[in-house]
Order: sequence, then C-alpha cells, then structure tokens
Amino acid sequence: MGSNSNGALREAVHEIHDYIRENLYFNRSDLSIRGKRYNSALLLSIMTALRKGKTLIIGEPGLGKTTSAEYVCSLLYRVPLGTIWGSEVAGHPEQTEEKIIGRPDLGRLNLGEEVVVWSHFAMLPVKIVDEINRLPETKQSMILDGVDRGNWEYLNDAIINREYCLFATANYQDRGTNTIIAPLVDRFDLMVESKHPGANLAYIIGTRGPATSSLRDEELEGEFHRILAERTPYEVRMEKLEALCERFGEFIRSTANIRSLSRAERQAVRAQMDEIPFDLDSNAFLRMVISELSFCHRFGQKRSNESCEEGCHFTGYVCNGIRNCISNRFPISVRSMAQAVAWFLGDQAVGVEHLKAVLPYTLAHRLQWKEELVAQREKEPRNDPLPIYMAKECVKDMHRRYMEQGPQIKNALAVACQVAEGAAMEPVQGDHPLFWEIRRDLGEEVSEP
Amino acid sequence: MKNPFQDFGSLSVERKELPLERIVRAREEVMERMVHGYLKLVEEEVKDLVWLVEHSRVVKAYSAAVKSIRELQYDADDIEEFCSELDSSNKIPYMISGPAGIYLSALVNHAQEDRIVLPLKDYQRTFHFVGYRLPDGKTLILQGDVGDFVGAGLSGGRLVVEGSVGNWCGAGMMKGEIQVMENSGQNTGEWMRGGEIHVEGRIRSLGKTLFGGRIFQRGKLVVPQETDSEI
Repeated sequence: MGSNSNGALREAVHEIHDYIRENLYFNRSDLSIRGKRYNSALLLSIMTALRKGKTLIIGEPGLGKTTSAEYVCSLLYRVPLGTIWGSEVAGHPEQTEEKIIGRPDLGRLNLGEEVVVWSHFAMLPVKIVDEINRLPETKQSMILDGVDRGNWEYLNDAIINREYCLFATANYQDRGTNTIIAPLVDRFDLMVESKHPGANLAYIIGTRGPATSSLRDEELEGEFHRILAERTPYEVRMEKLEALCERFGEFIRSTANIRSLSRAERQAVRAQMDEIPFDLDSNAFLRMVISELSFCHRFGQKRSNESCEEGCHFTGYVCNGIRNCISNRFPISVRSMAQAVAWFLGDQAVGVEHLKAVLPYTLAHRLQWKEELVAQREKEPRNDPLPIYMAKECVKDMHRRYMEQGPQIKNALAVACQVAEGAAMEPVQGDHPLFWEIRRDLGEEVSEP
Repeated sequence: MKNPFQDFGSLSVERKELPLERIVRAREEVMERMVHGYLKLVEEEVKDLVWLVEHSRVVKAYSAAVKSIRELQYDADDIEEFCSELDSSNKIPYMISGPAGIYLSALVNHAQEDRIVLPLKDYQRTFHFVGYRLPDGKTLILQGDVGDFVGAGLSGGRLVVEGSVGNWCGAGMMKGEIQVMENSGQNTGEWMRGGEIHVEGRIRSLGKTLFGGRIFQRGKLVVPQETDSEI
C-alpha cells in the first residue's frame, strides 16, 4: 500500500482533524491503526461526516459527545456553529414531530393552503440529535425513515436530502432514558464513546474555556437562518445555502487558517473512497466475520427468536454467544468506514488492519450478547464501555481464527469461484461456518456436523 | 445469479493433497512403469504369444528385463503388488508364466531389500523361473506352490519355497541354497554346478546331468550319492 497521488483533499481533512484535536476537542488517543494513534470518537466522527454516515456517540454527560460532532460538522460542511445549534433536535419525552420534521404554515393554512414549514434539522445536511435515548420509542420511530434515506415527510409534502450525515448522542441508562429501538440502532453505522480526557487534559480544558469563536459568525448565521426560513422550494434554498457555506469557508480560513471542504470536494472525497478496493485478505476476513454473526447450522441462520442448542458443534464461534442475526446494513457500514479510514491513511487498498480498526465500532451496538456471556465479561478490567469492549474482544477472536485459517479460507473461496463457473471440483471443507456457507451457496445439502 | 466468489477468481487454487494420496500416486507411477516394462518384454520376446525355454532366450529375456528396470525406484511391496497385478489385473492383457517369472526375478535381484517374501499362495496363476539368478546375500521366500525352473541359475542367494516346486528346480544353479518345504518335480537340479537343494517332501526325479552341488531329501544327501567305500 502506498501513498495516494491525489492527496490535496486528504491533506485538508488531516488539517481539520489536527485542528479539532489541538484546539477544540481534547482527548486521549485510544485507537491504533497501522502504528498511528487516534482518538476513536474524533476520527470516526470525521469519517462519518465524510461518508454521509450515522454515528451514535455514547458517554457520560458533559464529556464532549455533542460538541465534538458539532465541530466536525461545522468544519467539514462549512456550517456555522450557531446554525448547527439551531438545527439540533433535543431528545426529551415531549418532543413532537412538528419540532423535529416540520409543521404547517399556519398563515397559509388560514388561506386554505397546505404548506409545510420544514425544520432546520430536516433541511440541513448536518443533523444532530442530542440524547436520542430520552425520546420515547414512538418518537424514535418517527425519525427512522428520515435517518435511513434522508427522506422527510410531513402532511402531503416531502423533501429528500441529497447529502446528509447524522450524529446522535446517548447518555448511559438512568431513570430518564429509554431503550433505543432495534431498527434505529441498526441504522447507525458506528457507535463510539466520547471518553473522559483524563485529569490533565480536563484541567487544560478548564483553564482555556470554550474555544468556539473561530467557528462562529453571527452575521453569517443570521443569513443562514434567513435562507432556511424562506418560503422558496427546498432545492433553491439549498443552492443559496451552498453559496453561504462558501463564505463561511473563507471565514474559517481567515480566522482559524484552516481549509474546509466544499460540496463538490466532499463528493470528490467520496468518489475516491469508493474506488479503494478490498484486498483479498480483508475480503475473506469480512466474509468470515459475517458468517460467524449470521450462521446457525441447526436453523439455517441466526434468528433472535431461536436459541442455540446445548453442545452445538460451533460453540466456540461468535454465533453461539449472540442472540440476534447481523443485518445487511452491517457490511455496508464496515465497507464504507474501512474505505474511509484507508483513504485517510493514504492507503490504496483496504486491508485487514483497517477492518480490525473499524469492526468493533460497527459491531458494538449491533450485537445482542447472551446474558451469561455479558455476566462473564462485565467485571473484566477494561478501558471501554462494555459493548465496545466485548466487540473488540470478539473481533480479536475472529482475527485470531483468520490468522489460523486464512489461507485455507481463501483457497476455499477460490475453489468455490471455479465450481460456481462450472468446474468439476469438490468444495473445500473446513470447520469454520464460512466453509459451510460456501457449500450452501454452491447448492450442496449440508448436514449437521 | 452473480457468482459471489468472483473476487477470488484470480487466486490460484491450491489443491490440498493428503499424504496418503501422494504415496498412492507414487506407487501407481512405479506400478505403471513395472507393467510397461513387462509388456515391452513380452512384446519383444513372445511375438506369437508362445515362448520356448531355450538357454539363449532366457538369458536375453533376463537382460531385457534388467535393462527396463534399471532406473526404477521400487521396494518389496511394489514387487508384491506387481505379482498381484500379473495375477488378476486388467492392466496386463496377457500373462506368460516364463517371461513373467524372469521379469519378477530381475525385480527381486535388483531390489534394495536383502530379504523378500512373496505370498504366491494367494494367486491363481503359476509363475515359472522365480528366483532365477538370485544373487549372493539375497533371501527370497515364496509362500505357496510355484512352477517350473524355480531357482534356475541361482547365483549364491537363498531361496525358500514354502510349498511345492515344479520341474527343473535349481536347473543350472551355480551356488547358494534352495529349500523346498514340500515336493519337487522332475529333473530337480538338472545341469546343477554348485550349491545345495533341500527338499523336505518327495523328489519326483533328479536331473540326469549334474556338474556339481548337492541335493538333500528330508535332510538326507541324495546327490551325489554316498559310496560304500566312503562309509
């Protein structure tokens, strides 16, 4: 893997990352990728914003969950901080659809016209839901479609966001929180924790105070508000906003001496990321991971209403420790984030190291562990919240298995390719669920081991 | 439907081979060459599928057999399997006992092992000329009955037949020992020049022309006959 020749955009993203790390969001590095150390919450938030992704940021109150997302969105999307604050949705039980998505234009309604006044949250490409788990389940469902497809509907009207990213924050469980509904959880590409920065960095934060002035311009924020409040078609307002974003970009270049990205540049970044291929090892490793999270020899696949039988041959694999089946959104999230990280590091292909870095964060919120396994693990010494810790341990286990069986698995996939193209060969047999999945895909009747 | 394994199409397939498969393949190659050598010998020596026992033809056949196995790596197990092939395999369209025995003898004489046991009692067919020119230092044990000219031209080896032998046993043998656990046929020891033949059962007849060597029956010397003067 070598350096990508088209590095100007990457350099700009690195500048943004370094600027936030040095000036806005102080925290320790807790993620190592190919020898370089990063803060997982910051790095993966930047990747989320670039990839039009969705991230759930968990953590104790006041540890920078929302503000880190705000900084990232402001710099990468060229939106003033004040405008972002004005578009955020606060999670609380009394929250309404009218505040989240839109409301009728009452003046026009008096005239007999049904016109929707869209919320800034629905219109802006950067979306932040603060304390999402304080929303009751019914209100979480309300934002499900919009979160998934960028499609916001109210009365008989609808808008579709061409470009958007979503950050939702969640405090740890207390009396005021609800469970985030499973379909909504699955729509998050990543879950990261915004950790306490430690006594020494926290001391510096205390002495410095909020350092947000470089991302604020009240005059521009007023213009953003004026355009968002216009009664012109949504697309027209978005084009006008882009011009304002350009101006804000010039503003932060002059105040913070930092380059930000235009819409076209963000599109170019995504195109570059999409072109990064998976090498054969990462390809095989991801297939192996998916198979462990979805396989059941007894019932054909994992199902959350069917439990594993005692003494199953696959007791040592992840499938035996979890209750649910991984969804098809999981490989999409992994692929997208692994490509983003590889692009950020200047690598020409996604390798196993990139996958190992992003997998725990794409899995942590999606895995429903069996209670006995949680009980076994929760008291172990660790630096991460339990779901991320368990996901990291699970990825370590799967990677160890790949190190042991990788060549055989790649060979099995190569043989399967030839068999699928009509070659008269026997599929390779092995002990890992992936070998069984391969044989199933080749139309074999696979009996119990 | 799209081939879900397409990404791995460029990867060369490594065919995993069990050690047993490798061993079997090596044995098959050896056997193939042995059978080929035998068929070539038969083709050269037996044009009309009739083979006459003449001294010059025997020598010539043996030379041809030795030539064909010169570079072959084989062991006693391969020889045993070749016997089995001669007895029942479809790979060998015709089995002629004389050349077969001579070829078998060439294999035995040039094998690495000093002691070879061939379970001939399990076979339907009879081999002639087995043990032909068995050299010094070699022991060949034949389990079961064998055909004619067994141990002919024996050249110092030890041949044990755990059964009966046909006619002309030890014909023209030079030195060494033949031990027959049961009976021997006619002309036993004909043209014998040295060595010993021990027969535990009945000797149908002794050779008319003997130039040397000794023949024992049930431990008793019968050739040369002891004269009274010597007693």
